[in-house]
Amino acid sequence: MAGAASVLDDDSLISRVDLRLERLERVFALISGISVFLLMVLAVVSVTGRHFFNSPLPGYVDWIEMAMPFIAFLGVSYVQRVGGHIRMDMVIGVLKGRALWVAEWLTTFATLLLIVLLIWGTWAHFDRSFDFTAPNWSRDSTIDIGLPLWPAKFVVPVAFFVLALRLALQLWGFGRAFLRGDTHPVAIPLILSAAEIAMAEAEALEGDEK
Amino acid sequence: ATEWNASTWGKRRAFTENLEKLAELVAEKTNGEFTINISYGGLSKNTENLDGISIGAFEIAQFCAGYHADKNRAITVLELPFLGVETLEQEVAVSNAVYSHPAVAEEMAQWNAKMLMTSPMPQYNLVGTGDARSSLDSFDGMRVRATGGLGEAFAAVGAVPTSVTSSEAYQAMESGVVDTVAFAPHAHLSFGTINEADWWTANLNPGTVNCPVVVNIDAYESLTDAEREALDSSVPEAIEFYVANYGELLQRWDSVLAEKEVEKVMISEDELARFAEVAGPIHTQWIEENSARGLPAQELFDLVGATLEAAKSGN
Amino acid sequence: MTSIEIGLWVTGGLLVLVVLGMRVGFAAALAGLVGLIWIFWDKKGYDPEQLVWAVTVAVKTAGQVPHGKVSSQALSLIPTFILIGYLAYHAGLTRALFEAAKRWIAWLPGGLAVSTVFATAGFAAVSGASVATAAVFARIAIPEMLAVGYDKRFAAGVVAAGGTLASLIPPSAILVIYAIIVEQDVGKLLLAGFIPGVVSALIYAGLIVGLALTLKNFGPPVTGFTWRQRFASLPPALPIFAVVIIIIFFVYNPFGGDAWGTPTEGGAIGAFIVFLMALWRGMRWRELRDALIETAKLSVMIFTIIWGVLVYVRFLGFADLPGAFADWITALEQPPMMTLIMILLAYAVLGMFMDAIGMLLLTLPVVYPAVMALNGGETVAAADAAFGMSGPMCAIWFGILVVKMAEFCLITPPIGLNCFVVAGVRPELSVQDVFRGVTPFFIADAVTIAVLVAFPAIVLWLPSLA
Ligand code: NA
Ligand code: NA
Repeated sequence: MAGAASVLDDDSLISRVDLRLERLERVFALISGISVFLLMVLAVVSVTGRHFFNSPLPGYVDWIEMAMPFIAFLGVSYVQRVGGHIRMDMVIGVLKGRALWVAEWLTTFATLLLIVLLIWGTWAHFDRSFDFTAPNWSRDSTIDIGLPLWPAKFVVPVAFFVLALRLALQLWGFGRAFLRGDTHPVAIPLILSAAEIAMAEAEALEGDEK
Repeated sequence: ATEWNASTWGKRRAFTENLEKLAELVAEKTNGEFTINISYGGLSKNTENLDGISIGAFEIAQFCAGYHADKNRAITVLELPFLGVETLEQEVAVSNAVYSHPAVAEEMAQWNAKMLMTSPMPQYNLVGTGDARSSLDSFDGMRVRATGGLGEAFAAVGAVPTSVTSSEAYQAMESGVVDTVAFAPHAHLSFGTINEADWWTANLNPGTVNCPVVVNIDAYESLTDAEREALDSSVPEAIEFYVANYGELLQRWDSVLAEKEVEKVMISEDELARFAEVAGPIHTQWIEENSARGLPAQELFDLVGATLEAAKSGN
Repeated sequence: MTSIEIGLWVTGGLLVLVVLGMRVGFAAALAGLVGLIWIFWDKKGYDPEQLVWAVTVAVKTAGQVPHGKVSSQALSLIPTFILIGYLAYHAGLTRALFEAAKRWIAWLPGGLAVSTVFATAGFAAVSGASVATAAVFARIAIPEMLAVGYDKRFAAGVVAAGGTLASLIPPSAILVIYAIIVEQDVGKLLLAGFIPGVVSALIYAGLIVGLALTLKNFGPPVTGFTWRQRFASLPPALPIFAVVIIIIFFVYNPFGGDAWGTPTEGGAIGAFIVFLMALWRGMRWRELRDALIETAKLSVMIFTIIWGVLVYVRFLGFADLPGAFADWITALEQPPMMTLIMILLAYAVLGMFMDAIGMLLLTLPVVYPAVMALNGGETVAAADAAFGMSGPMCAIWFGILVVKMAEFCLITPPIGLNCFVVAGVRPELSVQDVFRGVTPFFIADAVTIAVLVAFPAIVLWLPSLA
């Protein structure tokens, strides 16, 4: 279920770590959004350059391909924090209390396992394109204007590393909630009660609409 | 039984007939003991085939040097503009010569790859809209879809290289984003640029891309002697079949152009010579850059020249 | 074990993970990774000494996919089209459109729901992403429908279904993806989606009116708007049509001259115009930042599924499951139209378990050539063709049918993305509520698809002009 969760905080250690990490994740997500914006500006520059000055942007396609991983990956941990990645909640939706925390712990653990392996795999992917001794440190380049590809490949294991931290924190959070039998644990995405939701929604709409 | 996976992309077409023929011949010669399954894009992205070979995910792959110059600097010599290659046979000759050079073998070995054969591509002639452009001066301000060294050569005579993907080339031409597109004939046919064209240059022959087929070294070495013999001995036949098959396509190309009343532009020898001069500095720059990287760049460049001369005089 | 058996086992495992509540993108990637390890180890005869090799090769192969597949120009349309949606929302365009639709047609039986459908259709013309359209209308239209007494599940269903219109009415990210996979003209495909999109909207509206006339306690008509109020609602909604016209000019110039650019550029220019409008209407850094973060979040949600599914698709490539499917289809001995209908039904089933883009990416390389062959080949003339249309026209027609099927799957359980997004935006709704509310629209979509199959001219008339 997308986005319908919130993360509580207090002054416990786990919550303070969560908020620290959240600050980093938010910056990453914003960079991702700004990259989309720049993509749009790039097209405007390319089109106006072509129509009015007969000088289209060289390597327009190459720049797009460079920007895409920044858009697609940097926000991955931010979305994980708030439980935004899409899933089926048919089964998990009916669980409560300790049973819920166990189920969440298990799927989170499977995800952490996947992401740790993918950090290895995407790092290897980056590493094949990177060579300290080569010009621009590049061993792989784009088709048109030969941009070095390693920065775009590097961003993937970096984003996955932050995601791994987030997943580890959530494992801690779900484990802690299970041990303590919490109903409203901090630092993990919660499915909210109707009253809490109504309040959050009202707050959100105040700023949103004009 | 030995089962190899081969990775290429797109659909089966003239460009992939060397692989198809190779698979057929190898199976035949080993009575089906050694088979090669060709996958069209299922095993890798087209720009990541060399990575897949280095990982060991599949045993044989096709790729084009221009997709990622930094992965394969040495063979980009074959993609320089105005080398003077005129036929597929000449393209095969220069490719084979360069592939046999130790510097190429060394660079490929970094990817755990060994050159097996080439997929010779004809020259990337221009297909264009509007008034035919038959002189260098008329290239001034022309928006052309041409990548890499070819793009540089057109830029040197005042044209404007414009990035669009091959799949958007038709749309780009129709909408005037580009005036001309440089492709091999089979690509002009399959991407439909020919449907939008008013003219094409029959003899500009500005250059082409180089697309080898490589094998994973470990896999190659673990073949039995009989299997390796079957593989190696099938290469010349596969190339021969490829060239004959592409020849038929080129004939069809001529008739399609005639049928669509696309004007055939012949550029005069003088103009061609002037254009080829422009390529001189691009060649020099390539040699300097790659010498600085520690490649025997001058040697590779001279090797292409000498091989081409021999191939032409042999005809 | 044959690779096809491995493929089936892993696919079963993937479904189990998804049902257990693992995030879909991660579940697909994990299934793909395990499948790759299995395939590579199988190749070495399950020799224990080769397990490390198999894991290494599998991990590195999977590690190529996220960066490799995401860095494509075609996919860049997705965040751009999402950005247009959020900027249009912040520019107040979405609300203006809904307001105008409400004042003009809410007097109909089920009027507010019909207004929602037409407003989503109008918004579809500036939004290329179905899920973004569903997300913004979940915010705007659902509260109004709830306020006049609509069933909350039905209100959610209207929005989830209405959102699918964005992928037929240009600009459309998924049509672009189809065009690129099958190497057909993007512009003609975008034009071809226009009339089917409008037909879909009309069929949805018809269904709602029919339901309102037969069901008691359905949402009441909303009346009482004066003509003066109606005309006053038009100017704020007009800018959206300016954007529509500009995007169309980037695809196809109706006056016969050159179009102004490529669809990729058209989408970005559209976004830029909406951005300027939003600035003019008072958007500042805070709102822009929110729009950018929202765009990033939705893009990441979609891209995570895309690369996750593509890791799984990479495994399928090694298992050659698609190849087995192709062999099976072409061996069928029955009329081509029968086969086509079976293929569309197969999409309906497959779409229940796969995301639309992943599904198209997975199947089209196999299914598209089979369909073209059924029709008589890529270059067949209309007179000799099984479906009575030329090769290129068949490519366009099948594209629209497939995209309509993919859109259909956006609202079918268990992983219909639109329904998840609506539930995500509206806290008072669970995913199951939305799935229940959207059920009547399955019938409408079935009717639409039947109409498009029976009368291909609806699809092909506009592109045949270009
Ligand atoms: Na749209
Ligand atoms: Na919800």
